[in-house]
Amino acid sequence: MTSGPYNYSYIFKYIIIGDMGVGKSCLLHQFTDKKFMADCPHTIGVEFGTRIIEVAGQKIKLQIWDTAGQERFRAVTRSYYRGAAGALMVYDITRRSTYNHLSSWLTDTRNLTNPSTVIFLIGNKSDLDGQRDVTYEEAKQFADENGLMFVEASAKTGQNVEEAFLETAKKIYQSIQDGRLDLNAAESGVQHKPASPGRPLAAPPAARDPCAC
Amino acid sequence: MEKLKEINGNSIMWKSIKEEGLDLEYCVPIPVSVARNLFLELEDTLEYFTGDLAKIKVFGKIYPLPRLQVAYGDPVITYTYSNITVPALPWPAPVFALRDFLFKLKGVKYDFVLVNKYRNGSDHMGEHRDNEPDLDPSYPIASISLGQERPFILKHKDARKPGKYKKAIPSGKMPSLRIDQSDLKCKNGCDYFGNPQWQGYCSKCHREQMQRQRKAEKASSATLPKPEQKKTERSLKLSTHSSFSKFEEKRLRQSETLKKANILKFNVFKKSIADDHDHPPEKRQPEFKIPAMVNENMKRDFRHRFPTLTPQIDRDARIFVHSFIMDVIKWANVTTVDELSEMVQRQYQRFMKHMDTSSHFANVDSDTKELLMDFVEKHAMTYLHELPSVVFSPSGTDDERLDRAMSERIQQLSWVGEKHLECKLDRNNATCRQLLYKAISELLGMDSAWSPGGKLARVRRCCRHVLQLCGTAPASADDLLPALIFTVLKANPPRLVSNINFVTRFCNAQRLMTGEGGYYFTNLCCAVSFIENLTAESLSMDRKEFDCYMAMPASIGGSSWGAALSLHGATREAEEQRAIVHKLMEQTQDVRARAEQLANNALTFEEQIAKKVQDVLQKTPLEIKPRRELPRLGKLRDFAAPLIDLEPTLDARKPNPELLTKEPEIVSSDAEFIAREPEHIATEPEFITREPVLITTEPNLSTREPIPEALQPVKQMEPTIEVEEPKLNILGFEVIEKESPCKSPQNWYMKQTNSLELLTPSPLGFTPFDSRSIDELITPDEFGSDLAPGLSNINYDIDLSDFSGDNSIAEDAPKLERDPFSPEGLKKDIFDPFAPQTSRDGFVPLENFDEFSLVDSRRNESSDPFEVVHRNDPFGPNLQENAGFKGSKSILDDNDSPTAACLLPSPLLPQTSEKPT
Repeated sequence: MTSGPYNYSYIFKYIIIGDMGVGKSCLLHQFTDKKFMADCPHTIGVEFGTRIIEVAGQKIKLQIWDTAGQERFRAVTRSYYRGAAGALMVYDITRRSTYNHLSSWLTDTRNLTNPSTVIFLIGNKSDLDGQRDVTYEEAKQFADENGLMFVEASAKTGQNVEEAFLETAKKIYQSIQDGRLDLNAAESGVQHKPASPGRPLAAPPAARDPCAC
Repeated sequence: MEKLKEINGNSIMWKSIKEEGLDLEYCVPIPVSVARNLFLELEDTLEYFTGDLAKIKVFGKIYPLPRLQVAYGDPVITYTYSNITVPALPWPAPVFALRDFLFKLKGVKYDFVLVNKYRNGSDHMGEHRDNEPDLDPSYPIASISLGQERPFILKHKDARKPGKYKKAIPSGKMPSLRIDQSDLKCKNGCDYFGNPQWQGYCSKCHREQMQRQRKAEKASSATLPKPEQKKTERSLKLSTHSSFSKFEEKRLRQSETLKKANILKFNVFKKSIADDHDHPPEKRQPEFKIPAMVNENMKRDFRHRFPTLTPQIDRDARIFVHSFIMDVIKWANVTTVDELSEMVQRQYQRFMKHMDTSSHFANVDSDTKELLMDFVEKHAMTYLHELPSVVFSPSGTDDERLDRAMSERIQQLSWVGEKHLECKLDRNNATCRQLLYKAISELLGMDSAWSPGGKLARVRRCCRHVLQLCGTAPASADDLLPALIFTVLKANPPRLVSNINFVTRFCNAQRLMTGEGGYYFTNLCCAVSFIENLTAESLSMDRKEFDCYMAMPASIGGSSWGAALSLHGATREAEEQRAIVHKLMEQTQDVRARAEQLANNALTFEEQIAKKVQDVLQKTPLEIKPRRELPRLGKLRDFAAPLIDLEPTLDARKPNPELLTKEPEIVSSDAEFIAREPEHIATEPEFITREPVLITTEPNLSTREPIPEALQPVKQMEPTIEVEEPKLNILGFEVIEKESPCKSPQNWYMKQTNSLELLTPSPLGFTPFDSRSIDELITPDEFGSDLAPGLSNINYDIDLSDFSGDNSIAEDAPKLERDPFSPEGLKKDIFDPFAPQTSRDGFVPLENFDEFSLVDSRRNESSDPFEVVHRNDPFGPNLQENAGFKGSKSILDDNDSPTAACLLPSPLLPQTSEKPT
């Protein structure tokens, strides 16, 4: 195995969705700006929206896509979802409207991603507990009903931000291990970087010569 | 079939649309898996009309039907529409089952069905009313749609009418149905979610399905050239007799974007493909020899980019690219672009796999492999891109048309501003505009990049600029997307749709899915689709206002891009000019510094002189006033003028720049002037002696006109220059262009010359006077010749005192003359600014300095050009000269006439010669 500090074995694609102003990009930046792993030189993370993490001894590169949350763009932003292995669905605990829109975000996500896509619900701005508009219990219940993982986090303080990203990665990795996630499907959102030669990257090119002549 | 029967009609959720003249109920009654089987079964059993029955007559002209069609029904029924009468064939089993199903659902027993098959996005059904006499108006028309999504558009029959009768009735809304249904899983029932893009399959099943299809098609096309075998979408229209009596139903053209594998190579109605088939590929194939240049370029590029990799890898890459290109060219003629795209993706994967497995690549790390992948993609695609209609807006696609449509659409939307999109762009900010312009040019450059990777790189650079444009520190997609939409609207990039499709189809799919390029490209796609679907609501504006804008001829709004460009051009120009001004300001600073230095020098010089004069005065108590000086002075002045003329005349006659460029001359004049000053000052004592009251030099200055004038210039230097400079910054630029301001400086110089004249006579007359050189000087004059040898200073003094009254008059007179003289051809009026000076000089000498500064401030312009132009250079010498003169002065002070003689002889001689004449 060619092992360098940033020779990762997988790339997971995440998307961050949610209404405008819930702090999607702040979460992303909070996470990626801490992209320095102890053993990694600074060259890592220069890359756009990425950070390398480690799950079960495997280096995984997270590629995170921020999305536009405005209602008016909803119809056209479907291509963001394509091939996302993880979806972080964010609302603002101080604004109920952002919570109320969750179901439509969830519908979109379910419709436009694979069944194996891990959806993680994040109640952002937990540092503003005084202005809280959505209780933890309520959101937790919503998450449980829909089979989502849930955490309240703060992009400002960084509280629980790591956890959200890491837990999602663990879950995805688990699905890979369980074989629930098909690595060969282009839309799985996971790219495997075969460390050893001989491991097929893609499905064997079946009809090699579908030439009609 | 059995499954159809099992469906419980009661569990079906019916929805309805009721409008004027419309009573529509709809639902999704058949589960996906059942529908799919049904679909396949229909595919296998149905055979469509051919020959005359597959033609349609519109306005007397016969066209092939833009779809496949067959009709079934109870015996003897026929259906006539558009002058075609179609016979009803006996019911096939699956269609019959559907009829029963409908009966179960709605209790209507239909006896006729027209089956339409839309083979691809180009197949369609035109607007119609179903008001044929064969139809029973008391029965509803039932439509069953299987296969892909298609818009089913219902319009009021008055929709075509103008005015208030024009109506738009919501369409059949299949998409919304789809979402309401939770039945979104893959049609195969494999538990993955299906996607309309993949005809309801999940990606995996879709791929399998595609391959199966292709094989089937191949087999069928080989045996029967019957187009019927091609499957895609099919709409069953079961109709007995229409019952929408009050309502006219119209189905508009059922278009939809091309989906994978919907077009088949024998698609008769796709002109281009049919053509390709008519001229079989053999004809073209021999032409496809990959030019050796491609190979050479690759070799060179490889060495350049991967100097460390083995030649074996290079060879592998080239072999791959070669076979890749050949394959694409071979297949491009016989497959649809989507198949081609799939094949290309497989090729990429193949190469990736090759790299992973081959021993040549054992030592290559994964990053380099990716670079190699890009390398291969770049070279293969760059070549293919050049070939017309192979990979870039390939034949058989709508790309070109869509390009045009998009371009027109963007042009129509040119009125959309940053406000509408709610993006935070500061139009007035120069950096902002600069960034926008950069982003636009990158986006425009997308078309000129030839490989998918190159295009992606352009998009990436464009988006980076756009991100910067958004300004906020954590770049957010909430800001990025609107700003990008704005950029696209302003850029109106050429062949946008073709470019996007090209990248989507032929870029290595992995890269599109992840990575910065992929992300930005996705954003671009979002932006484009937003523009396509833009409505009043999406801009959150009033519908009427929106319509107004849209109705506006594109030419009106279309200019905004041009305006943006020209605006940018203007900005750039302005910036260039600003740079120039900046440079000039620096120069001015320099000039200013030098001028100050000069002023200081002059000051110290003056002080020194004053001191020395004092010394001289003390040394030589003067009481004799030679009368003869008066005439001498006058004459000397007259002659001194020509002496100085050499320099000042030039100054006066020529515009500023010249004046300034000739600074050495001026400088010399200054120098002279300065040099003479002491002499002049030396004269003062004379006057002082005349007026016994005042002895100090300053009061002398005040009392006597010529003297103040003479001194002024020296002191002028400081105030004028200082006052002028601050203004230079602003005006310097303009001033250069104008020539008019020159005059004032001229005047100024003239003044100087005046003063010089004044001075010169005095030096001529007086320096020697003090040092006895006067005697010598005088001698050349009429009187001097006689007097000089014998006369002492005393004699002169007496003369002067006698004539003192005349003298003053004489001096006044010349003074008046001086003005005309000094300008040398210019009128007094021109001296306006100076006039006060001269006049006041006479009266209030002490104020001179103030006035001067005032005058200068008044004449900013004049002073500006003076400074702006490179005076600094000549100034340097000035200073030196000054210094030199100081030295010389000391010599003068030593009363050594030779120096004076050296300076003066030339003017003197002509004077003498002239005087006699």
